[in-house]
Amino acid sequence: MRVLNIILNGKAVTAREGQTILELAQENGVFIPTLCHSPALEPAAMCRLCTVQVIEGGRAKFVTACNFPLRRDAEIRTDSPEVRHGRKLIIELLMARCPSSPELQRLAVEYEADLTRFSSLNDDCVVCGLCTRACEAVTGKTLSLAGRGTAIHVSTAFAKISDFCIGCGACVQICPVQKISMEDVDGERHILLHGKIVSQVKLPRCKSCGKYFGPVIDLEKVMDRMGEHLIPPPNADTCPECSRHNLAVKLGKRYFEQYGVFREEGQADAG
Amino acid sequence: MSGTACVCQEIECREIEIDYNQLDKIIRDDYGGNKETMIMMMQAIQRVYRFLPEAALKYLSQVIDVPLTKIYEVATFYASFSLEPKGKHILTICTGTACHLRGSGGMVRHIAERMGIEPGKTTQDLKLTLETVNCVGACAVAPVAVMDEKYYPKATIATLNDFMDRLDAE
Amino acid sequence: MIEATQTALTPSEVTKIMSTEALAEYRQKLQAQYDPNAPMIYVCCGTGCQAAGSVDVVEKFREILVGSAWDGKVVPMIKPTGCHGFCSRGPLVIIEPQDIFYQRVTVNDVQEIVEKTVLNNELIKRLQYKSAGAKESITKASEIPYYAKQTRLVLKNIGRVNPTEIGDSIIRNGYAALAKALTQMTPQQVIDEVSSSKLRGRGGAGFPTGLKWESCAKQEGLRYVICNADEGDPGAFMDRSLLEGDPHSVLEGMAICAYAVGSHRGYMYVRAEYPLAVKTLTTAIRQAEALGLLGKNIMGTGFDFEVTISTGAGAFICGESSALMASLEGKVGRPRPKYIRSVEKGFRDSPSNLNNVETYANIPSIIANGGNWYKSYGTERSSGTKVFALTGNVFNIGLVEVPMGISLMEIVFGIGGGVPNKRALKGVQTGGPSGGCIPIPHKIPDINVGYGKLAEVGSIMGSGGMIVMDEDTCMVEVARYFVNFLVEESCGQCTPCREGLTRMKEILDRITQGDGREGDIELLEEIGKFTNNFSLCGLGTSAANPVLSTIRYFREEYEAHIRDKKCPAGVCKKLFHYEIDPDICTGCGLCKSKCPVKAISGEKKKVHVIDQSLCMKCMECYKNCKFRSVKIM
Ligand SMILES: Cc1cc2nc3c(=O)[nH]c(=O)nc-3n(C[C@H](O)[C@H](O)[C@H](O)COP(=O)(O)O)c2cc1C
Ligand code: SF4
Ligand code: FES
Ligand code: FES
Repeated sequence: MRVLNIILNGKAVTAREGQTILELAQENGVFIPTLCHSPALEPAAMCRLCTVQVIEGGRAKFVTACNFPLRRDAEIRTDSPEVRHGRKLIIELLMARCPSSPELQRLAVEYEADLTRFSSLNDDCVVCGLCTRACEAVTGKTLSLAGRGTAIHVSTAFAKISDFCIGCGACVQICPVQKISMEDVDGERHILLHGKIVSQVKLPRCKSCGKYFGPVIDLEKVMDRMGEHLIPPPNADTCPECSRHNLAVKLGKRYFEQYGVFREEGQADAG
Repeated sequence: MSGTACVCQEIECREIEIDYNQLDKIIRDDYGGNKETMIMMMQAIQRVYRFLPEAALKYLSQVIDVPLTKIYEVATFYASFSLEPKGKHILTICTGTACHLRGSGGMVRHIAERMGIEPGKTTQDLKLTLETVNCVGACAVAPVAVMDEKYYPKATIATLNDFMDRLDAE
Repeated sequence: MIEATQTALTPSEVTKIMSTEALAEYRQKLQAQYDPNAPMIYVCCGTGCQAAGSVDVVEKFREILVGSAWDGKVVPMIKPTGCHGFCSRGPLVIIEPQDIFYQRVTVNDVQEIVEKTVLNNELIKRLQYKSAGAKESITKASEIPYYAKQTRLVLKNIGRVNPTEIGDSIIRNGYAALAKALTQMTPQQVIDEVSSSKLRGRGGAGFPTGLKWESCAKQEGLRYVICNADEGDPGAFMDRSLLEGDPHSVLEGMAICAYAVGSHRGYMYVRAEYPLAVKTLTTAIRQAEALGLLGKNIMGTGFDFEVTISTGAGAFICGESSALMASLEGKVGRPRPKYIRSVEKGFRDSPSNLNNVETYANIPSIIANGGNWYKSYGTERSSGTKVFALTGNVFNIGLVEVPMGISLMEIVFGIGGGVPNKRALKGVQTGGPSGGCIPIPHKIPDINVGYGKLAEVGSIMGSGGMIVMDEDTCMVEVARYFVNFLVEESCGQCTPCREGLTRMKEILDRITQGDGREGDIELLEEIGKFTNNFSLCGLGTSAANPVLSTIRYFREEYEAHIRDKKCPAGVCKKLFHYEIDPDICTGCGLCKSKCPVKAISGEKKKVHVIDQSLCMKCMECYKNCKFRSVKIM
């Protein structure tokens, strides 16, 4: 692999060809704010908060760090006055939509955003597209970005309760402004988008302990696409705790049969 | 095969007959069931019903194996799709640059007021849908109005009033 | 459009052309059947003329020609054609071989035209063209300044061929350039010829076409040739005219491109608002395939190229290359955020060469006549010709094709015939929603139209929209119009474009409503620079241009709206009123009769007054007063 010589905020560093600016910055301890980025998902570069300046072959341009692949020697400025000013505007514009987000509030202080310039929209969604991309990665059947322009919004088909949601909760976990929530009521999982129920999923009952537990998902597909960033979900009819227990007991038994010793559960896989 | 789907609007309940054989013909025969032609299939479906009935899209979703939510995404993205029933007559007023400069905005406002509907909406009695379009390529004869697919060059408020009078008389 | 006529040029009875020599023979055969001295009646059936009733005119001609007795005489042929370009005078009829030009022809004129002009060579004065102020009317189409001052390279066939008859195109050397490329040139030679022509993309950005083909040809594996016929600029219609008037030039250009870059599959993405173009293209493709000029084993050379038509569904953003490819795949047309060019990874993630309709339509003549020939038109950095859609406040509205580098004043006055109603020229908007206003003649006396020069003055070439604006145009309102258009058309995925444009619209709305605030101009500039730098795609990064360029040249107009609460052009209804100047008013009473709400009173020959409480500022009195006594206050 080719090694590139990069000047990152005035400091000479090296980068691997194809690496994104965000990855390079993280490796070198340079913080670039992001809002729509998750290492588990394809970058969508929608929020534009991570915009930096790149000078490649003598030409300066603005690019988004989360998805710009380095291909040549370049100079990168992640915190120039122009960059900071643009980020300040993004924060002001998004705060007008979603003033309650702690993450945005923190950024607003850091970038000295003037929160009086734009009238409030109180929409409460920053349109980062993380939930729809997370949904896409799991089943791709429930959430999408409907509408266009100012009318763009996260929605289920026909804004109705989805027939296809499996209740995995990936969208709930990933929303940076905590506007998707989840509650388990009487053996049913509800997912709420801005307080409105968009999914009702019957939860399976654990055949070992009798408790309701999270839904079954196509594990292989999820692990494949989300890798180690997702807590492993359980399988068919046993809750995660019981499955782990059962597995441990099984492995332990085998160990005992082989070596005649029965180890503690937690060490079951040590052999 | 035929079924009934109910497309409940706030005001009244509108029953739509879906002819699944006809849908099949569009989806499978005309477009070979090819996902990539989904937008054109949806246009063909809209030509049949004058809007996109939910039941028809559900069927489309099953046949071409595209999640319904993705079809909904497409249906709400492109301006020519409508998820609400359209009127018997469609009046489209061009608001492209040339027509705008020649006062098409005033014509839109006039009809909107006279018929009590916003652009893009349909009258309660499903008689008329008022639409706007950004240029139909006849800028030389601006402002252009298109009534039920017939072009009216150099349209005026008077031309439009004539239509409305005729509609009222229907 | 209109079905093939009774002529011998329909390909139905013809078998496939299996060699390039066979094409030449077929052309000779067609030419032999064609008598240049036989009367031929061309009727424009472009959208403008159709809207004005030209289809009925064609029908009437057919009816009369069939019904008449022609004892021994050659029966005149009637040819419905694509847009001649002079749309404001439509329906247009041109009679050959004399080149007689008639304008605004109605069904009722047809009988007379046949009897007098076609049969007896007699002219009908009232249908003839007269330049503004001229005494003599002009007989020949080629002598009308509107046509005479144009250089028609890409529009050469339009108005002369029936787009639904491939034979018409073949007679005029259609597919000869493809034959030449396939048999006498290597793909690299084709690319070199296009590169040497210095042709730049006509879809907006002006990227060198040869360079694009070169990089596409370098890719590996399956690749696609795509034609961008989404023509989104509201007020531009040259691509439409090409597709509806001369589809074979575009198809031939695509086929040559496919040969050069090594592709066998072509797609044509046509905007949903152009149903006629889709129909014409479908017929054209079917006829070309029937003759073996497209499809498998073209002209027996072993080269395959198939073209599929796909339509949009109403989204300006689908003209952007990555959005177009997503839409072609049946998906939402949101631009993709990848920093990778579509010649490397485009449609179906394969290398894809995307060009505009007009770009492709230029290719056949470049291959036939050579890059040097093409380069001899235009300027060093902007070679060849460009078609502009001249609209707005100008006498002659329509399509004009001119060499690059021509003076803008010459387009507006020489070809366009100047500004009507004795109004003064205030500026010209080019490039549509991504472009800017050029303040000729007052702040900039004139410019030579080319990619570089337009960019220098803060506008762009764009796809060729050219809107002439007179003194009654409010520049703040124009900026508001374009921003409003883009707010509706933005895909909405990225923050700067979605939120920034919405706020710009909010600010422009309040300025035009009389609620503008101190600091609004600076805020517009601040947001505009930001959206131009931070947006994801070309829509967002050029969206602020109409605002920034009007602020640059017409800042005082913005200030008048904000500080004095006045709209100097008399457009923003809350910011002006009309008054009749008593020193000028002759009391003719015209305004009184025109006012729809009876707000004007006054006796004949006495000064009239407007009742401000009734006036709805419809402009009727202002427009109609012969003495310009109605003043904007
Ligand atoms: C928002 C947007 C809209 C566009 N619309 C069109 C269009 O309608 N037609 C077109 O040919 N190019 C359009 N373009 C330019 C295309 O992206 C692309 O550059 C062009 O089709 C390339 O062809 P060319 O090199 O022949 O010009 C648009 C670009 C943007 C950013
Ligand atoms: S700039 Fe506008 S149109 Fe382009 S991606 Fe962003 S929101 Fe969409
Ligand atoms: S994190 Fe890069 S654009 Fe949002
Ligand atoms: S602007 Fe209305 S037809 Fe072009």
